Amino acid sequence: MIDNASIRQLITAQIPDARVEIFDRTGTMDHFNISVSSAEFSQKSLIEQHQMVYAALRPALKDGRLHAVELKTHALERFPS
Amino acid sequence: MSNELRAEIDREIAENKILVYGKGTKTMPRCGFTLETIEFFNRFGYPFEVIDVLEHLEKREVLSEMTNWPTLPKVFINGKFYGDTDILGPMESSGELGEILGQTFGAPPQPTIQLH
Repeated sequence: MIDNASIRQLITAQIPDARVEIFDRTGTMDHFNISVSSAEFSQKSLIEQHQMVYAALRPALKDGRLHAVELKTHALERFPS
Repeated sequence: MSNELRAEIDREIAENKILVYGKGTKTMPRCGFTLETIEFFNRFGYPFEVIDVLEHLEKREVLSEMTNWPTLPKVFINGKFYGDTDILGPMESSGELGEILGQTFGAPPQPTIQLH
């Protein structure tokens, strides 16, 4: 089991600007719909975007806190600063 | 052990232009997503192989590490990793997948029934 705040923390530790939406699909805190938007995704293929999120979630997937994720990613426009 | 598994996986990827690591076999899929992937590639008509890793936890771990992708099925085309149908579906719609398969096989798929 893992709570929403810990999921968000894992993702933003690797993708600082990520906007993360989390939905507990089963009410058992281990199967989630996660949607992530970030400017880091721009110029990246869909698979690379997913791999970035999975890499961030790796510790929780590996130790079994997180069983299943249905993932959606969205690239945000990168504005010149 | 994991080096041997890695070598085995590299060999399997090299030997099959379309390779699906999944749960169950082509004739007896044991997971809805594996079945979905088999049906997906059946529609294209190119040859593909399915390798069952359901009971092979160690190999699944090596595969996940190689790909940064925690779930099955895992699809490789021409040696490159393409995730699952969540990725391949949009790639089909955009025409990208058709191009990749065309380049991989160098010819359109053979029809199953040939007319004289």
